[in-house]
Amino acid sequence: MLRFIAHRFVSMIFVLFSISVLSFLIFFATPGVDPAARIAGRNADQQTLKAVRHDFGLDRPLPVRYGLMMKKLFITRDLTSYVNRGAKVIPQVTQAAPVTLSLVFGAAVIWVIASIAMGMLAGVFRGTAIDTTVMIVGLIGISMPVFWLGEVVNLITQSRLHGSVFSWVPPLGYVPFTHSPWGWFKALLFPWLTLSILYIGIYARVLRSAIVEAQEEDYVRTARAKGLTERRVLFRHALRTSLIGFVSLFGLDFGALVGGGALLTEVVFGLHGVGKLTFDSLQNLDLPVILATVMYAAFFVVVANAVVDLIYAWLDPRVRRA
Amino acid sequence: MRDRKSLIALALVAVIGVVATGSSSARTTSHRGGTLKLLANAAGGTLDPQVNYTLQYWQLYQATYDGLLAFQKAGGSAAFNVVPDLAASYKITNGGKSWVFTLRKGIKFSNGKPVTANDVVASFRRIFKVKSPTAGGFYNGIVGASKCLKTPATCTLAGGISGKGNTVTINLTAPDAEFKYKLAVPHASILPASAPPNDAGSAPIPGTGAYYFSSYDSNKLLVMKRNPYFHVWSQLAQPDGYPDQITQSFGLTVEAQVTAVENGQADWGYDFPPADRLNELGTKYAAQTHLTPLTAFWYAPMNVNIPPFTSLKARQAVNYAIDRNALIKIFGGPKLATPSCQVLPPGFPGNKPYCPYTKNPGTTWSAPDVAKAKQLVNESGQKGAKVVVISANDEVQKAVGVYLASVLNEIGFKATEKAISGNIAFTYPQNTKNHVQINVQQWYQDYPAASDFLHILFGCESFHPGSDSSINMAGFCNKPINAQMNAALKLENTNFPKANAMWAKIDRAVTDQAPMATMFTPKHLDFVSKRVGNFVFSKQFYWLVDQSWVQ
Amino acid sequence: MSGAIVDEVLAPVGGDLAIAAASPWQLARRRLLRNRVALVMAGLLAVIVALCLCAPLYAHHVAHTDPFRSNLDGTTIANGKRVPVMVQSTQGLGLGVTPIGPTWDVHHYFLGADGQGRDVAARLLYGGRNSLLIGTSAALITCFLAVLIGVVAGFFGGLVDGVLSRLLDVVWAFPVYLLAISLSTVLIARGVSLGPLHLTSGSLLLPITIIGLVYIPYVARPIRGEVLSLRRREFVEAAIGLGASNWRLLWSDILPNVVTTAIVLFPLMLAIDMLTEAALSFLSIGVQEPKASWGSIILDGQDLLYTRPAVALAPGIAIALTVLALNVLGDGIRDALDPRAKLRRTDGE
Repeated sequence: MLRFIAHRFVSMIFVLFSISVLSFLIFFATPGVDPAARIAGRNADQQTLKAVRHDFGLDRPLPVRYGLMMKKLFITRDLTSYVNRGAKVIPQVTQAAPVTLSLVFGAAVIWVIASIAMGMLAGVFRGTAIDTTVMIVGLIGISMPVFWLGEVVNLITQSRLHGSVFSWVPPLGYVPFTHSPWGWFKALLFPWLTLSILYIGIYARVLRSAIVEAQEEDYVRTARAKGLTERRVLFRHALRTSLIGFVSLFGLDFGALVGGGALLTEVVFGLHGVGKLTFDSLQNLDLPVILATVMYAAFFVVVANAVVDLIYAWLDPRVRRA
Repeated sequence: MRDRKSLIALALVAVIGVVATGSSSARTTSHRGGTLKLLANAAGGTLDPQVNYTLQYWQLYQATYDGLLAFQKAGGSAAFNVVPDLAASYKITNGGKSWVFTLRKGIKFSNGKPVTANDVVASFRRIFKVKSPTAGGFYNGIVGASKCLKTPATCTLAGGISGKGNTVTINLTAPDAEFKYKLAVPHASILPASAPPNDAGSAPIPGTGAYYFSSYDSNKLLVMKRNPYFHVWSQLAQPDGYPDQITQSFGLTVEAQVTAVENGQADWGYDFPPADRLNELGTKYAAQTHLTPLTAFWYAPMNVNIPPFTSLKARQAVNYAIDRNALIKIFGGPKLATPSCQVLPPGFPGNKPYCPYTKNPGTTWSAPDVAKAKQLVNESGQKGAKVVVISANDEVQKAVGVYLASVLNEIGFKATEKAISGNIAFTYPQNTKNHVQINVQQWYQDYPAASDFLHILFGCESFHPGSDSSINMAGFCNKPINAQMNAALKLENTNFPKANAMWAKIDRAVTDQAPMATMFTPKHLDFVSKRVGNFVFSKQFYWLVDQSWVQ
Repeated sequence: MSGAIVDEVLAPVGGDLAIAAASPWQLARRRLLRNRVALVMAGLLAVIVALCLCAPLYAHHVAHTDPFRSNLDGTTIANGKRVPVMVQSTQGLGLGVTPIGPTWDVHHYFLGADGQGRDVAARLLYGGRNSLLIGTSAALITCFLAVLIGVVAGFFGGLVDGVLSRLLDVVWAFPVYLLAISLSTVLIARGVSLGPLHLTSGSLLLPITIIGLVYIPYVARPIRGEVLSLRRREFVEAAIGLGASNWRLLWSDILPNVVTTAIVLFPLMLAIDMLTEAALSFLSIGVQEPKASWGSIILDGQDLLYTRPAVALAPGIAIALTVLALNVLGDGIRDALDPRAKLRRTDGE
């Protein structure tokens, strides 16, 4: 087990390192993104341009530049933006994190509750019209582009029905929980629903198939044979084993979303979270911020992956060999 | 004839002086106070007035920083007049090569320290030390500037600037009639000698204006408060403001900005309102919507060094084919823009209406001549050439790019449109290595002189192959025309009107060579909240925010 | 989020256990034909594809419009009257121009006009062609390369597997949008040659390649796992014992199993790819104007959302329907082929 953990850890570091190098290289290999001219300003003199390039170390060899940037990001933690000069990068990420956490946490609560209900309903009534209907509804949720759904929600709540049913919906944007818990809730309700609709369908399906599979398994049959009621079988045995897959999937998705995976939802609802920060920095080709947000996102994805793997390894010794 | 211009200026000074004193008594009473809340989608970058080159902050610098000279704080074209600011007076000697300034007494920075000749000298050196974008463009005429450009860190401007008591002398290598304008833009702001010798970024630097920046967080908020050490020394150069505090908060989308101003939660949004809200602003909120013509133009530079636009006929064909009336619809309709074919905008020094690229060539544009355009493309031998139109990816510019691609396809090219990040849309097309054929740009004046359009955008001196800073995006370098430009620049020193007549001819010549397709002259739209009063729009620096009241 | 669908696909659903003595493909076909919901969705998909293929027919012979040409000054007929396509506001200050809304007349701007005065209905059909083309090609690339990588990694194991698996890890955690934005910037004015592929700015190959590449881990990982477990199965081990060559093993024992998985995953990858294409175009890094895709039409419609919502609504509904049909169909195919059920029987996983 220890060897497995060590192995996972090394490959985690390797993946993070590769991603930082790749992001760095991709950015500097792209023509036209050399920030010197943008930093120097409109119609800057050639000599000024040269001086700016030197100031920002843009005339140094690539490995040195990479090293400098990583040092500023992780050691001295004073990396500054290329676009908003003087603006430190790390505080931008730490300021954006609570917004993303609020969004993802609320959405997760909704999707977990709704998908457990739907998945169990479909699993119990397997093969009936209820099963088909529930699954199709879930699939419809999966099939809509999330940014489009967000826009439709905005169209209804911010414009078409804003005068009547949805007059209580605040303008797009985030309200800090510490500022006003009720305002926080109101501002996030529709983003939560929009984001969770995608996941409800997926999780309900995972749960359903797990339940169905578990019902086929011997121990459930044994439990039934022992004369336990159908409901107790479902809750005690089937659900408990089904939840392992469910929980590990949840770990992966939650990790990706906290890292900024809810980018499109944040953009559409004007929430200044990590995803929006990533999006803006990409739009602005602001490398220091891109690197910081990409590393932040990759960290959560990789850690979630590793944790899920560890849980599997712990539960199932065969995985450790593979 | 330089005298006539200053006479007009004097007359205006008199008129505005009266108006201004009239309102200055009101200023101290009922309307004074409150917080003016401004909005912007994103921050404008560094707050350093000698580095920042965005309209967003130049507008705010008007109330926070002063130069030796200043553009008059007034509505309309009067804003093009240059008046003494921190200098009480100045005289030009030595055949236009020496400018001698006498500083006003008793002016203090917002940190309480008095303004001295030493601060002035240090500020001019700092332009080079912080590598101001215009260090090479505006201030390279100062003696010693070339050395400073090469080694900014040790810049002294020896022989170029000296201060003694309250006199500052600036020596130029050659007379420069436009130097007064260059002294009146924010890059020539006078800052304390103790200001850091590099870009101050988000740390505010003390200034002399009626307000000072008290805090700046580029993700949230910029706050301007009254400068406690400020007193009015010139109503024209730096009047007192009405609000006690001015804030600009960042992060709201343009849609949300408009809604917030409609609801009175904010007073003004920096960004241009989205097309689908314009009708609403023009009808329900007409009283709060201010439209002002700008001295600017939207144009499409065509790279004369890459096919198909190496051919003059191909370039002219594009000019003939663009339906400027249709194009203006993208911008919000004829109330928001005027068709144009030439470089210099209406009302600008040297402008003489000229439009060869229309159904009935003459002074104004009337209708496109697509038949002629198709014929020209045939004659150019470039029919069927592939063209990529580049534009920024915001709503309006992208739509203009898409329209251009459609026009190019119609007259026989094979065009696609590519929208790129607004952040690189200005620098990317400049570099010849990126092989941009045609792109959507707009140019807003720095100061009211024809050279700011013609010489900067189409002069050989601003074409630098392989550099991201090569603002002559067409790569247009026509030796005879360039010689005329340099002659006109020289003539400005002795005879301004004659020089302007010459610029008018140059404007014609450049338009005939078609290194660009001019599209239209835009108007500026300011949408303010109900409570904002006394809206004054300076043609130089736009809405003078501190001259409006909120109560 | 997309990985979840794939993971879940491989989780078995207790399908029909009555296995007759027919060939597995015949069986699958029979099962699929019995799945009425899947058949309805297959019909819907066929209709959507057919409509999109008829785009030029519609544009030239029904609507008489060129959906790639800006028509800011044009007129059309609505309610029997000739009206401008782009309506200039005349009230108040006279600001703003609004495109004509849906006329519900198939001959004249059925769904109204976009910000360039182009017929949205015609663009929707043309856009569907591009969206479907990009989705299908990308899914083909993904499945092909994933099978290749998965089989090589799983079959040869050792160092090869180590390198390939780490590579997949990196792609898995790498943000799609960064890759897409930088690649599309590289290709603005010039093309880039990658072996036989020549990418240029307007080329559809660009979104196809990007989308095709980034989803490889989603398919390659389960396939690698499958190959690993197949190798350990008795019949393969027996074949090795009998001295069968690697190639024969690959060809006759491993590939057929793996291809079934790839076929099951294909419609689902296609669904994911279409959603990704929409997202990329929405971020204006997918299909380039004047070409259209459903995602780029949503982007056009975003600016008109509050005044002319039809422009954004129509392509969104088209995407949702297509993806829904693909998902249901994919489920149907999976239930019919049920590869995991087969696996489980021998491996006991």
